[in-house]
Amino acid sequence: MQRWGTNNAGRIDRAGHAARLIVAVIAVTMVAAACSQTDNNQTATGTQNPGTTGVPAVAGPSGVTIRVPADQPTVQAAVTAAKSGDLILISAGVYKEGVNVETDNLTIRGVDRNKVILDGEFTRENGVRVLGANGVAIENMTARNFTGNGFFWTGVTGYRGSYLTTSRTGNYGVYAFDSTKGQFDHDFASGSPDAGFYIGECYPCDAVITDSVAEHNGLGYSGTNSGGNLLLVNNTFRFNRAGVVPNSGSYELCYPERETTIVGNTVYSNNQGDTPAIDVALLAMGNGILVAGGRDNTIERNLVFDHERTGIGLVPYPETDAVDNIPPEDAMKKPCADTKKAPKVDPKTVKNPVYWPPKNNRVVGNVVRKSGLADLGVGVLGDMTVPNLNNCFSDNTATTTSPTDLQAMSPCDGKGNGADPTVGALDLVALMASPRPGKGDYKTQPEPGDQPNMPDAAGAPARPATDVPMKIDVAAIKVPAQPAGT
Amino acid sequence: MTAADLPRETLTVPHRPARARAPSRRPAAIVLIAAGVLGALVTGCRTGGADADAGAALGSTTTDVVVPAVHSGPQGDTAQFVVKCAFSHAGPDDPIVHPGHHGASHRHDFFGNTGTDSESTAASLVGGETSCTQRLDTAAYWAPSLIDHGEPVTPLGAIAYYRPAPGVDQTTLTPYPTGLKMVSGDPVAQEPQPVEIAGWACGTSSDVQSSPPVCPAAAPLRVRITFPDCWDGRNLDSADHRAHVTRSQQGTCPSSHPVLLPQLTLVVRYPISGDGHDLTLASGATITAHADFLNAWDEHELTDQVTMCLRRGLVCSVASNKAEDEPQDSPTSRAGS
Repeated sequence: MQRWGTNNAGRIDRAGHAARLIVAVIAVTMVAAACSQTDNNQTATGTQNPGTTGVPAVAGPSGVTIRVPADQPTVQAAVTAAKSGDLILISAGVYKEGVNVETDNLTIRGVDRNKVILDGEFTRENGVRVLGANGVAIENMTARNFTGNGFFWTGVTGYRGSYLTTSRTGNYGVYAFDSTKGQFDHDFASGSPDAGFYIGECYPCDAVITDSVAEHNGLGYSGTNSGGNLLLVNNTFRFNRAGVVPNSGSYELCYPERETTIVGNTVYSNNQGDTPAIDVALLAMGNGILVAGGRDNTIERNLVFDHERTGIGLVPYPETDAVDNIPPEDAMKKPCADTKKAPKVDPKTVKNPVYWPPKNNRVVGNVVRKSGLADLGVGVLGDMTVPNLNNCFSDNTATTTSPTDLQAMSPCDGKGNGADPTVGALDLVALMASPRPGKGDYKTQPEPGDQPNMPDAAGAPARPATDVPMKIDVAAIKVPAQPAGT
Repeated sequence: MTAADLPRETLTVPHRPARARAPSRRPAAIVLIAAGVLGALVTGCRTGGADADAGAALGSTTTDVVVPAVHSGPQGDTAQFVVKCAFSHAGPDDPIVHPGHHGASHRHDFFGNTGTDSESTAASLVGGETSCTQRLDTAAYWAPSLIDHGEPVTPLGAIAYYRPAPGVDQTTLTPYPTGLKMVSGDPVAQEPQPVEIAGWACGTSSDVQSSPPVCPAAAPLRVRITFPDCWDGRNLDSADHRAHVTRSQQGTCPSSHPVLLPQLTLVVRYPISGDGHDLTLASGATITAHADFLNAWDEHELTDQVTMCLRRGLVCSVASNKAEDEPQDSPTSRAGS
């Protein structure tokens, strides 16, 4: 999509040096006709992000390219100088900085994913943090050694992270919070105590994570109170403590987690006892896909194998210090934005403990094997029973289930066989109490090897995140093939 | 409706009225006029010189105590940034109330800057080491040590929440000036303090109480102290260490303290749950909960956080309801405390 064209004439240098500015002014004058559309575009849209409301005001790239370090010495300087629609193109190098982005519709791209490295030196918090700036795309680079997150969007409409690598980050790798209309694709996230990938506090999220890999994290994926057209498809989650863990909790808004579509992923060997880990990761260890108090999720056609506990598990998420009760059934379609406006809860009315139930989840056509406790499992707490949670299981290739014969007990079509759900049940209380390996240090997790570059990084035009999420033909996705060497 | 929207009342009362200090959930605004009388109280109720905290200073001036509007409920509906800090060290030091007098204070637990002692100043702290995950937060936070059956309890860590107070115009927030000193909570309280200022809770529960509740193992005890958010714009400290700051009321700072600051809430986490504890604070009973803050953040970083996150209404970090992966700094005890 080359709306304005990206050519030499369009690459207007906005470097901070006076000489460069003079040259640029002359250049602009000389090519005024060629660039008039670009200039009009920028004038019409303004360049300062107006805040967290509204959708991006401009949809296309500006045609302006700011090169780092040729035009600006640092990534932050380039971002600060940039205007909506600009492309920031970063040359190979280790950039010891963290970058804050407050301008809409930027495309921030490395020329080489493995050689354009933002390094936090375990001092800086975020590699790139996008603050309320809509439509910002980050592409083809690495963030490592940050105390917080590798790449982080908060409070935005429109975001994309493509061909990104993160390692050794103290919180999350690739992370979106309170944001909608997003896409993470071809990313690689490793070495986070919380999650490699996280999308939280959004409903509907309108987002996709695809063709990405998470390993050596506490959780491969975590999504607290997110969902609604949220797709996790065709990814690999391996060697984490736990693989894919959508979850609910009242400590953040927009509970519960719901309507996440998890299809076509390869999830294996998530038993890694030497990863960094928050406590939830300790609890979840040894599970491939673990829905913790989430509902109305679709889990289909995944390949899941080699887990100490369950391949695909649906369990309650207990909160003993909840700050709200579970919303009523008729509030499940309430948009997150409306939730923010809701009256505060009187703490005295909260009935702790709160057990977020895994309800109405659909588990179909997965291939699950080599699970220590059960290939498919449902756990209950309090007054829950497996049948009344209304989860369903059909056409899965699985050897062991908990309760026993789960697929016949809770099929997706037709009536269950009425079997006793306590036979072969998971003992969640004992599992939660059992000792687990201690936390590893995120600073010493394995460095990822080189990852594939995006096509034509140096020449492709800017592509702000105004066309996301990409369309996915979920129905066409098949169960992945067994990975080589496993 | 936020807490700021709730009806308020202002009481002008002489000297620590029990009713006004009761841990009511109603966010009443209370003004304590404590001049002179409070000094006598402090003298009368202290048990030793080394235990003195803000008492002497409290006794010397009029002190306004305004119950703030505070945040409760889930994170995410209000702009914030959060700093998680490991326990750094403990000692009988207080660089705000007893600067330069090692041993003059009751025992405090320190978080943030790992070099904090009685001699600390902003100049000595800025750029130092920190126990916080946010390595550019080199500010000093401290609170009286929790004592269980006569033995100090080593905290699990602390969380500093920086948010606009409910109801304020967040676009007018100003970063703390370097060197700003604040004390919140009453170290010589004889009656329960307003829980909006200092209170106890189990885990992340919003049910804050004036005395420690019995907590389940999965949500152990925390103390929560909320600091003033209005500054006089001139003084980094004051004789009583309080008069230079106050709290916004109904979203507005008074003309005497016109500079709107973030509302800092410091939460200290303890490995205390279940029955069988005999809890006090190093400052006295658990109703004497209080905390201190000496701003020594990296100035540029703090300005970024305030302007980019809080002024723009964004959530830049959240605290989990479970234990975080905090720095592995091992607890140390200084000065033989």
